[in-house]
Amino acid sequence: MLILDQVSVSFGTVPVLRGVSFALKEGEAVAFVGRNGAGKTTTLRTIMGFTRNGGRITFDGHDLAGVAAHLRPGLGIGYAPEDRRLFSRFGVEENILLPAQVAKLSAAETKRRLDRVYHILPELKEMAKRPAGSVSGGQGKMVALGRALMLATRLVLLDEPFQGLAPVLANRYAEALRRLRDTDPSLALIITESNPHLLRSFAERTITIERGEIAQDVRNEGLAA
Amino acid sequence: MSFDTIVLAVCDGVAYASLVFLVAVGLTFIFGVLGVLNIAHGSFYALGAYTAVSAGIFLTKAGFSPWLTFPALFVAAIFIGAVLGGLMEKLLLQRIYDKEQVLQILVTFAIFMILENVQRLIWGVQPYFMSEPLQLLGNISLFGISYTAYQTLFLPALAVIVLLGLRYFLRHTAAGAQILAVTEDREAASAIGIDAQKVYFVTFIAGATLAALGGALAAPTTSLMPGMGAEMIVLSFAVAATAGLGQIEGAAVAALMIGLGRSLAVYLAPEFEVLVPYILMVGVLIFRPSGLFGAPQLRKI
Repeated sequence: MLILDQVSVSFGTVPVLRGVSFALKEGEAVAFVGRNGAGKTTTLRTIMGFTRNGGRITFDGHDLAGVAAHLRPGLGIGYAPEDRRLFSRFGVEENILLPAQVAKLSAAETKRRLDRVYHILPELKEMAKRPAGSVSGGQGKMVALGRALMLATRLVLLDEPFQGLAPVLANRYAEALRRLRDTDPSLALIITESNPHLLRSFAERTITIERGEIAQDVRNEGLAA
Repeated sequence: MSFDTIVLAVCDGVAYASLVFLVAVGLTFIFGVLGVLNIAHGSFYALGAYTAVSAGIFLTKAGFSPWLTFPALFVAAIFIGAVLGGLMEKLLLQRIYDKEQVLQILVTFAIFMILENVQRLIWGVQPYFMSEPLQLLGNISLFGISYTAYQTLFLPALAVIVLLGLRYFLRHTAAGAQILAVTEDREAASAIGIDAQKVYFVTFIAGATLAALGGALAAPTTSLMPGMGAEMIVLSFAVAATAGLGQIEGAAVAALMIGLGRSLAVYLAPEFEVLVPYILMVGVLIFRPSGLFGAPQLRKI
């Protein structure tokens, strides 16, 4: 479904990704692990089209080189960036609905997707009317996930969702991800994380990136789900 | 100072403030969304004025109704904003959004210089004047003072319509929501499918059209001369900076302050006329470096 083939990215003269290749199957959940600065965020941003890259990225048969960044979500890719990046001038629910509004989804389809988001993240319903600028960092990550899920019908990219989360919230976020896997088994996931052990329980595969290169790509044994 | 003089000064000030507001709100809108301080904004003002006058003169000479000079003002402004603004954004600005701000200012300054000379090439250096719209609306009496309806009613009404319209557009329409989203975070906006490039293009054209509209509407009240664009860009920058860059409602307040200050100076201390706007600006910025309504380090519209 998603194929990265020898993808390379440089910022100025500094290479950040060097020949990154991996392929993702439909419904596959991957933990993308590496230290800070290893290239995790850059990999996700490159899939979303925010960097200039060498090599080739194919998604559902489309060569993404010809697909502008703002058209990629329309292919069914949702993205929750690392620092949540909500639109503070809008309410929580408005943030979640904005992608549907931009994509001009029908009212019925918008409602169906919003219901799915609230099913996976029931706590969002309680803060629906609050200004997005007023929610805590952890709650903001939930909103960012909800917003990403509005367009994510095929693939969702989550950048360090657990970083800085209090243990209670981290548990709730993990529960939400499990609900997401149960509700939508055909949705593929890439979750980045610096702690390699944290994602074992819901990712069937762990890809490790070091200094811009794939160092390891293993199937996780004994996965409960 | 007699009561009559105060009424006159207020009428002058409000009329002038309305024009300055139109130009300054365009400047501040573009800065708020694109982050580019567009020096060539003054050229849009001047070219809007010259184009409107040329169109008006053509219409009256060709024997059309002088009332057609009114729509000509708007058509001229939209033409300059869409064509010139559109070309400038597509051909030049799009290449430099991720460059340093100094470079962006230099590029827009260069365009300003080029357009200033293009304007001299086309219209020469002799003053142009077209008073039809001013005369057609006649005069009204305010506290015993007779003043043109064009300046006391038409211009302020238009400024208020633009202010309210822009507010409504940004806060209550789908397109406005997209502009706000791109302003706050371009990448996050793209990640939910918003075409930021298109938002920048449309915003720039809208801002440029507002400057050209300011010029077109100023045309019946003044004679057009080379250098008018430079004067206006400096003044509208003073308004935008006093308000806080990116502040739309603030620009209206600052324009009114500076417009009234300037016209009172004309009657009270004429030698300070040119200085007053900048004294006000410096006074505000000493105490509030981000402007009257600006928040430090936060780009907002």
